[in-house]
Amino acid sequence: MKEEVYKVFRKYGRLLAIHGYVAGHGGNLSLRSGNRMFITRHGAHLEDLKPQDVIETRVDKPSSLDTIASSEILLHRAIYMESAQYLACIHTHSPYAIATSFFYDELKPIDAEASYVLKRIPVVEGEAGSQRMAEAVAKALKESHSVIVRGHGVFTAAQVIDVAYRYACLVERSAQLLYLVDVLKKLGYTFITPTHL
Amino acid sequence: MRKIAYIDLSTPKVEHIDPGMDLLTNYLGGRGLGVKLVYDNLNPALNPYHPDNVIVFATGPLTATRVYTSGRYALISKSPLTNTIFDSNSGGFFGFFLKSSGFDAVLIKGRAPKPSIIVVDEGDVTVKSADSLWGLPTGETVKELLNEYGSRCGVACIGPAGENLTRFACVVSDGIGFAGRGGLGAVLGSKNVKAVVARGSRRVDVADENLLNDLLKNFIKRIRLNPITGKSLPRFGTPVLVNVVNEYGMFPSFNFKSTYFEDAELVSGEALIEGFIVKSRSCYNCPIACKKVTRVNGRMGEGPEYESLWALSALCGINDLKTVIEANYLCNDLGLDTITMGSTLACAMELSERRLIPIQLSWGDKEKVKNLILDTAYRRGLGNDLAEGSKRLAEKYGYSEASMNVKGLELPAYDPRGAYGQALAYATSNRGGCHLRAYMISFELLGVPVLLDRFSPVGKADLVVYQQNFFAAVDSLVLCKFLTLGLDDESIAQALKAVTGKPYDKRELLKAGERIWNLERSFNLREGFTSSDDTLPTRLLTPVDKGPCAGRVIPLKEMLNDYYAVRGWLSGNPLNGEPLKNPGVNGLKPL
Repeated sequence: MKEEVYKVFRKYGRLLAIHGYVAGHGGNLSLRSGNRMFITRHGAHLEDLKPQDVIETRVDKPSSLDTIASSEILLHRAIYMESAQYLACIHTHSPYAIATSFFYDELKPIDAEASYVLKRIPVVEGEAGSQRMAEAVAKALKESHSVIVRGHGVFTAAQVIDVAYRYACLVERSAQLLYLVDVLKKLGYTFITPTHL
Repeated sequence: MRKIAYIDLSTPKVEHIDPGMDLLTNYLGGRGLGVKLVYDNLNPALNPYHPDNVIVFATGPLTATRVYTSGRYALISKSPLTNTIFDSNSGGFFGFFLKSSGFDAVLIKGRAPKPSIIVVDEGDVTVKSADSLWGLPTGETVKELLNEYGSRCGVACIGPAGENLTRFACVVSDGIGFAGRGGLGAVLGSKNVKAVVARGSRRVDVADENLLNDLLKNFIKRIRLNPITGKSLPRFGTPVLVNVVNEYGMFPSFNFKSTYFEDAELVSGEALIEGFIVKSRSCYNCPIACKKVTRVNGRMGEGPEYESLWALSALCGINDLKTVIEANYLCNDLGLDTITMGSTLACAMELSERRLIPIQLSWGDKEKVKNLILDTAYRRGLGNDLAEGSKRLAEKYGYSEASMNVKGLELPAYDPRGAYGQALAYATSNRGGCHLRAYMISFELLGVPVLLDRFSPVGKADLVVYQQNFFAAVDSLVLCKFLTLGLDDESIAQALKAVTGKPYDKRELLKAGERIWNLERSFNLREGFTSSDDTLPTRLLTPVDKGPCAGRVIPLKEMLNDYYAVRGWLSGNPLNGEPLKNPGVNGLKPL
């Protein structure tokens, strides 16, 4: 199974990197299967994952392999334990999402697709790797499919990784659109509210 | 004022000596100070059991301050196991009490006419009779001395193994700290010293309290956020490494015949937590609390740590955790280094498999293992041969390949065929097969601070040299190396600056570390070691055919050339007994 997980992680890791949502050692991916969790290892490059970058550990309690797993393992575990419907989590360092998180406590997407799919994207706070952040994100994801940690990045969760990936793309697209709309407003353009949204 | 107690047990005479600021500036304290004192006070080729051998208990400039993990001490002498210069670092509280007694270090020479203890108390040193303590296990010894001197004192003692000059006898402090490797407990035993007791109320002056406060606030945050010091070690202790290392095919089993252990789960950190761990403990001023108290069959005791657990399980083919814990307790009681004990037992098992020794000792024989541990401490029967360590055991019975040692010190629980940097670190270690001179595992396995390709030799020599220098400095301050998983060299240099008021930065710290390293190498060269001793056992230079490390051959020669070049020891040819080019000792007066 680890081999299969590796193939999946490698595919979505590359896609996220192509979009610029992750770079360097940033971001992580996880999948749950039964009481096991597969997660990218600490220090892995998502744009070029190797087989040894996939760590198999427990979902229901800490394991010694947490030592080499992503430093966000606490958070991934908290998400799965809080919401049994989620089987995949993605974490990115999407630049527009991070930038807008400094100005909003909640993002309300204004484009058709994201406003329909995501509805709202809460912004929470917490120190990377901390229990507090893990709890805040897990709680937010009970009500919503995506959340932004202020100044840090995006967490999305879904039943399958492809959907979690879609959510990650939508969050960043929404944040980018909000920024562009704000720029156009400041340039003096009149905003026309769509009647169908 | 700085002070060293110089004790000659043969006379007996006690002198209080001011080491001078130069010595402390150049060698910091702890390991560095001890190495310098031993180097200056020993003649080459001296038998480690000769009364003229000296043994030094040394604290560092940060000992007994508010800097985390500052209760440790260093123990330095010439090792009866390896004949190299040897320092062993111990946790617990003894270092705190030694510093509080008013001494930076205690140097012991000579031999007491009968069993003795040394009491270091509020600036005074006395030698007293230990007739009633001789023969007692370490736990009982500590208890008796705490009863006599009160609970606010530190006790460093030997057990029956040290008394009987088992070559890998250790020194146990306060029941939770172990100066484990190299047989320094036997050096104390050869001097008829059962224990050193330290007591005092002196406080260490701090030059810049404000800077120290700011640093400590930053340190605790980083220690707590680090996944290893903040989560893994507090929860599982060092046995957290069992599954991790085995996963990478680096958990040697059956005397390094295999690089992984099929039954690792049965002896893992998880198995320990589920059945045996009762509570955590910490050394003086340590927020990590990696020490674990266990209980088995109604008895409570310390550990086992990762290395002890491995040596007494996978290395010997034992998969029963109860047996391993009990064997660990036995080694602690008797005052034996668990790594060398396990490795010597595994060596004996292999010799038995080849029908080279006069007993039948199968892999995994739990009952015989416990009996042999006792026999080793008391030098009975085959135990008398085991007490010599694996190198001498294997040589005696005609198959030296069965001993997994470097420079006479048995290798620890990371198979070097899985991490080339660690392989180089083992080969070049001044004290022999040791993972703590340079812990390349943090780069090559744990990814702290960054993950490297463990099968690449590129850049490894530079990193090994850096780590060796850095850890020599850390051992001289005397701090716990776990701090270095969360704190970098500049942070530690800043702490030293805050306490001493001297303008230390990372460069000065690393220079001191290099000086200490070179002095150790000088000592070893003087004893007859050459660059041909910078090697690994033959078994580890040949590939295994199964597991994650299958087919891998360590490019040791290539890395050694790089290493000597980085060290500046090379002038086109290997060292081979030639004087060092830049030992860093010129111009310093002997004590």
